[in-house]
Amino acid sequence: MTDRTTATRDRFRYGAAAVALVAAAGVGAAGARADETCQSPYMAKITGQEEYVYVLTLGVEGLGDGSDKLVTVDARPDSKTYGQVIDVDSVGGRHETHHGGLTDDRRHLWMAGLDTSRIFIFDIATDPANPRMVKTIDDFVEKSGGVVGPHGAYALPGRMLVSGLSNAEDKTGRTALVEYTNDGEYIATHWMPTAETAKGIPGAEFADGYGYDARVLPRKNVMLSSSFTGWSNYMRAFGDLAQDGEAMKRFGQSMVLWDLHARQPKKVFHVPGAPLEVRWAWGEDNDYAFTAAALTSKIWLVHEDEAGEWQATEVGTVGDPANPPIPVDISISADDKTLFVDSFMDGTVRVFDVSDPKAPQQIYEKRIGKQVNMVSQSWDGQRVYFTSSLLANWDKKGEDEDQFLKAYDWDGKELKERFAIDFKAEGLGRPHLMRFGARSLYAG
Amino acid sequence: MNARLLATLAAGLLSVAPALAHDGAPHRPELAIGRSAAFDYDPPAPGSYRLAAIKAAADAEVLDHRGRRVSLGGLLAGKVTVMAFIYTRCADVCPLATVLLHEIRGITALDATLSGAVQLVTLSFDPENDTPEVMAMQAAGLEHLGEGAPWHFLTTDGLRALRPILDAYGQPLARNGGEYAHELRVFLVDPARRIRNIYSVGFLDPRMVVTDVRTLLGESARQAAVR
Repeated sequence: MTDRTTATRDRFRYGAAAVALVAAAGVGAAGARADETCQSPYMAKITGQEEYVYVLTLGVEGLGDGSDKLVTVDARPDSKTYGQVIDVDSVGGRHETHHGGLTDDRRHLWMAGLDTSRIFIFDIATDPANPRMVKTIDDFVEKSGGVVGPHGAYALPGRMLVSGLSNAEDKTGRTALVEYTNDGEYIATHWMPTAETAKGIPGAEFADGYGYDARVLPRKNVMLSSSFTGWSNYMRAFGDLAQDGEAMKRFGQSMVLWDLHARQPKKVFHVPGAPLEVRWAWGEDNDYAFTAAALTSKIWLVHEDEAGEWQATEVGTVGDPANPPIPVDISISADDKTLFVDSFMDGTVRVFDVSDPKAPQQIYEKRIGKQVNMVSQSWDGQRVYFTSSLLANWDKKGEDEDQFLKAYDWDGKELKERFAIDFKAEGLGRPHLMRFGARSLYAG
Repeated sequence: MNARLLATLAAGLLSVAPALAHDGAPHRPELAIGRSAAFDYDPPAPGSYRLAAIKAAADAEVLDHRGRRVSLGGLLAGKVTVMAFIYTRCADVCPLATVLLHEIRGITALDATLSGAVQLVTLSFDPENDTPEVMAMQAAGLEHLGEGAPWHFLTTDGLRALRPILDAYGQPLARNGGEYAHELRVFLVDPARRIRNIYSVGFLDPRMVVTDVRTLLGESARQAAVR
């Protein structure tokens, strides 16, 4: 247990200058700057309105050039091309480039291919309106020692942490976290704990070795990871998969709390039903994170209790769990008061008041489309963007397959649409992860 | 942040250093600092984890605070180095790095196993303003405040010499008039000149950096024993 009073006094005695300088420089609190709310806490910040939305888009055979691509959308309200696609960069071929992320200096955006395990690195700093692919990592599986399906690319200081979803040996969800330098050179692999390798740590019996997201809380020296499923499931047609009882057992049921610095697991939590996105609260005293379990439609809170122990607690339900809407992405507001939860099956966003993180209360819901997946909000919480695609083989079929980016204003009570882009009509593909860009980041 | 203000702040730090010798554990004086709201955890034991080699710490010709040409690679070889890129007129995050290095130096003064094996490097990325004379003023403002590991204040003789260093270490910056937009990066370099950790804002915990230093020194000791 931490004695904050004593600890603060000790730190102040020895490090008065450091504390004063942190306060003076305004770098201790993330809330002073504008940015989206799901990035590393130490990442370079956008100081105003986001100017561009970068959309990782899966190629569709017969649609446009059929390739996976990075689509750049103009988000400047005063621009003649506001709400329009202003740049398209195909990576060549289809790789299921579902997720990725920005480096800590925001100079590069990584697109990670879940199917082919190739990673495409774009320079977004030289001309933020016109990203340019500068490097491809082709040997991820070999270098990582057999990790397959690079998913998120999360910024650590001067490095990228790539969370895998699978492995080359059996293509199940057993996987690892893989570190790279910002310029795309392999550093290290950290395998997710299994019941065998986690022996001796609390919750070892729940360790399934699966992975999905991984995010950090540096002031507590912890990292939290979640779990999904392997290549043999996520590349399979969903209707077919859902009929296969054995395959449906191969979904993640765990979250792992790590010693961030040592990259060693400290505790494993039993969180059934594929806990996906991890979102740490931003407040300096808010030592907790949310996740949503896709298959059980539950919201979970991972938090440090009053005794200093980390716990995982089910705190809410998304829709009707008897007819699960499959929550897939969540977004927490910068003031930690609001949680947006997208669910794929009903194409709906539900907004929860999470002022009391142990008792989320739904305050709003809106159907965004026939299917919806990712949600990203601006730091001020006034703008919210949605995309539609889950995975190429899991998206809805025929008339039910909406593919879009939609932008809304949020006034705390309701969403009002600003613009929409039809990714089918534009010949682009299936849009998934979004990241924001702005010229002000690089202007000095 | 001028040198005098920084020196004043640093003097405040050193005034408590003797207390550490009495209050702290004898082998890890850094732990006497204790937890804080910003670093609310206990550091792991040195050597209980592995620091992967991130990349080679590039060599380059730099100028020391007397204006002498020095090989950065030569300076780094054989010691554990904590190195920060800064510019002296920086009013943003650079002083955090300087305070961190100063805190580490204060800790090394209390532990003979550290003071002879560790060095600190401040390297300016603003050679137009940060001449060797300016770096000498920085050094003078800080060095007389106490004992501890050697601290080198380096610059370059121009942007042509600087640019390859920034590229090699991955220290991007953009200039706008007299100001720089940059990410604060502090590097931990091992005696074989490999970068073993990178710290940025949110990670500038002297307890953790010193724990990393001890982890590297433990490696060196084991390697020496094998030989």
